[in-house]
Amino acid sequence: MTVSTAMTPEQARARRLRRERRGRIVRHVILLAWTGFIAFPIFWMVSTSFKDAGEWVTWPPHWLPHAPTLHNYAQIFAFSKMDASLSRQAAEQAFTIWKALGDAVFVCTTAALLALLFGTFLAYAISRFNVGGRYFRHTILTIRMIPPIVVAISILIYYAILIPFASFTVMGARISLFDTYLGLILIYTVTTLPFVIWMMLTFIDEVPYTLEHAARLMGAGRMTVIWRVVLPLVASGMVVTFLFVFILNWAEFLLALTLTHPQVTTLTVLLNKFQSASEGRLYGPQAAIGTMITIPVVILGVLIQKHLVKGFSFGTIRR
Amino acid sequence: MARILIKDLVKTFGAYTAVNGISLDVNDGEFLILVGPSGCGKTTTLNMISGLETPTSGQIVIGNTVVNDLEPGERGLGMVFQDLALFPHMSVFENIAFGLRVKKVPDAEVRKRVTAAAAAVHIEALLDKLPRHCSGGESQRVALARTIVTNPAVFLMDEPLSSLDAKLRMDMRTELKGLHKRLGATFVYVTHDQAEAMTMADRIVVMSKGRIEQVGTPLQIYNRPATRFVAGFFGTPTMNFVEGTVEVSGNGRRFRAPGIEQSLPDAVPAEVAGRSVVLGVRAEHVLLGDGATLKGMVQLTEPLGDLTLVHFDHGQSASLVAKVAPTTSLQPGSPVSFQFAGTYCHLFDADDGTRLY
Repeated sequence: MTVSTAMTPEQARARRLRRERRGRIVRHVILLAWTGFIAFPIFWMVSTSFKDAGEWVTWPPHWLPHAPTLHNYAQIFAFSKMDASLSRQAAEQAFTIWKALGDAVFVCTTAALLALLFGTFLAYAISRFNVGGRYFRHTILTIRMIPPIVVAISILIYYAILIPFASFTVMGARISLFDTYLGLILIYTVTTLPFVIWMMLTFIDEVPYTLEHAARLMGAGRMTVIWRVVLPLVASGMVVTFLFVFILNWAEFLLALTLTHPQVTTLTVLLNKFQSASEGRLYGPQAAIGTMITIPVVILGVLIQKHLVKGFSFGTIRR
Repeated sequence: MARILIKDLVKTFGAYTAVNGISLDVNDGEFLILVGPSGCGKTTTLNMISGLETPTSGQIVIGNTVVNDLEPGERGLGMVFQDLALFPHMSVFENIAFGLRVKKVPDAEVRKRVTAAAAAVHIEALLDKLPRHCSGGESQRVALARTIVTNPAVFLMDEPLSSLDAKLRMDMRTELKGLHKRLGATFVYVTHDQAEAMTMADRIVVMSKGRIEQVGTPLQIYNRPATRFVAGFFGTPTMNFVEGTVEVSGNGRRFRAPGIEQSLPDAVPAEVAGRSVVLGVRAEHVLLGDGATLKGMVQLTEPLGDLTLVHFDHGQSASLVAKVAPTTSLQPGSPVSFQFAGTYCHLFDADDGTRLY
């Protein structure tokens, strides 16, 4: 066999290198454009958070603050109502971040941990005992396809009307889950459970049955097998799943808006309240809060990057 | 005492019967190998002995105890799995110690016994490593040490050498045999590799389609296969089979098939006469060369170094194979004369494959 070509090997090599370089350039241009597209809103948010009220909405836009200020941050991090001399806006006194931050951290963490606990055990049962039948794992995920507003209204009726009414009728005391930590934690746990089950199934399915068989033959009971063999092997997956669910909860708005007010407030709900009668929407403090909401997610992501890579590659087990 | 008695054991998965009423008696201290093709029920049988599968019916007795309803960990068994099942997140030491830790053996005792088990399989230097840093052979030894450390009376092994390369597999066979001798425990070993079964077993159980085809020593299985299946499963290359009939005239018995006429020993029972049979003859008992009366044509030669396999056509659909000296000058296309060593011929029923002679 011979290769017929009019080119010399040097010409062919030069052509290959030219094509490769062109490919690299096109690839980088596309990636840069995409990165700019994705990063612009974040840039704009951070930039706005350092702008004074006059610069929030201007034409032509101020890409960077002309007179950078920390006032927006001072406002959201204020520990008490601001002194009238410092406060230039009538509405700003009420909007400090601390209560909402505390509520959000507590609710999101607790709900994510509970979902992780239940979801991991449920995923184990589905993976190992085929609980619910062959298609159950797919059915679980379809639950998430229901629009959140449908759930929100139904749950609101339960939380605010049916449960208080039933508890009053039965026990003589009115118990309401509306605007309570328990109520919000419960709904966050339930709504994120399908994700936890789905993700943990992928990790648990990866643990070979024979490891459990070996442990059982050596005298380990089911709980010992789970605790000492299965869970350590899916630990990376659990971290990834926790992070994923935490972020879902952290960014959730509709359920929190519907099911809480005024006792329990998450950051996303607080964000929506930045409105003043005199000045309309308060973009500066809103951008400052937006930046503050994003920071923990980024820090978490960086801290557990190693686990993320391991977890998302699903190669947690090396035999 | 670690005698294992299996009575009428059945295991079904829905409509599929994996094990179909087998009975077996494994002697104390015996090295018994279950062998058969994939899906024959050998691993399911082993899993029922271990307790990882529950029998549909039948009884399993280990020592003097019926173990059907005992948990796997209560049966006093050790098992080595096909994928070895080493815990990837634990060091070799902790892997070996796992069974002792579960039983809450004191730390000092654990250390002593793990060290002794590691020494028994020469892996003392690996104790601090993770399994993923061990080679195939080393992992194999770790799995063995983990089984040895709890002093089980019965060792169950599910194709433990299948993931090793050929050279290491040969070495491990010798080691396993030595280990069996040293420990004096009962070994039940599953494999689909007939060479492994032949070299290690005290007795071999050949299984097919959920049933036992034959139980016997390696030489019994090789020299007097009970069925055509066993005859075909054991031996490399596969035994030659020729369909035909047996004629009895006076004291002489002859096998006839198109293009083949072969005298058979007088010991062939006269009742076989006139029946459709399958003549089986191993490659080493097919004689080529001068003096042979049957004619064929060489199709292919396979030099293996110490001998050469000659595949030849004799006018029928299935070709025959003979083992000859490596110095043979036969080439594809050469005519060849052949005959069978009558004393070593086997006869099987053409319908159900049972041995007639």
